[in-house]
Amino acid sequence: MNRDSVQENSPSISPQLEPSDYVTTAQAVQPPLETKKLDSALTIFGTTFVTIFLAEIGDKTQLSTLLMSAQSHLPWVVFVGSAAALITTSLLGVLLGSWIANRLSPKTVERSAGILLLLISVMLLWDVLQG
Amino acid sequence: MDWNLLGISFITVFLSELGDKSQLAAIALSGRGQSPRAVFFGAASALLLTSLLGALAGGAVSELLPTRWLKAIAAVGFAILALRLLWTQREDPAANSAASTK
Repeated sequence: MNRDSVQENSPSISPQLEPSDYVTTAQAVQPPLETKKLDSALTIFGTTFVTIFLAEIGDKTQLSTLLMSAQSHLPWVVFVGSAAALITTSLLGVLLGSWIANRLSPKTVERSAGILLLLISVMLLWDVLQG
Repeated sequence: MDWNLLGISFITVFLSELGDKSQLAAIALSGRGQSPRAVFFGAASALLLTSLLGALAGGAVSELLPTRWLKAIAAVGFAILALRLLWTQREDPAANSAASTK
């Protein structure tokens, strides 16, 4: 009895869906678009991996890691410590990014993400010219 | 296990990476909201590989690899990602799917 009444009530409690929510649900149901979504996740993984790997190789973090491992003669301990730190910082970055994305309009997010990426590109070019 | 060394390497790397390029990139790339998980795995595995290379190769990394050129390539890659974001933002995915069903 109680359960039925909860179910009857639930539609009225459920948050109002915006038109965009319906669009995304409909897209997720269609199989071709779903595979497209997986593709784009792989693409995102690939582009993130390649750009960050190339940007970080020979960077100051890597230099401090190799200095510490050379000094201590315990490379694996240094690797575990720096790996844990790097996983934590990228997790924080991704959490912050999605938190911001949920708060701002997609247009603002895309524009500021584009500007931020341009800034990173300029920072890298600056490193190249300085080194 | 040398816990002291472990703690020192964690804190050093954590502080030097906080607000650095790769974290900013993780923020920017996950902001599009399509697949934050893919961004996290991509960023974390790239960083793991660089620190593995750093720990194993010691000072030899910059001698073995043309790091300046790799960095320049990364700069171009980030610029392309940025321009693509800034250019294609007027494309509405909802409008696109509506057009394709017609």
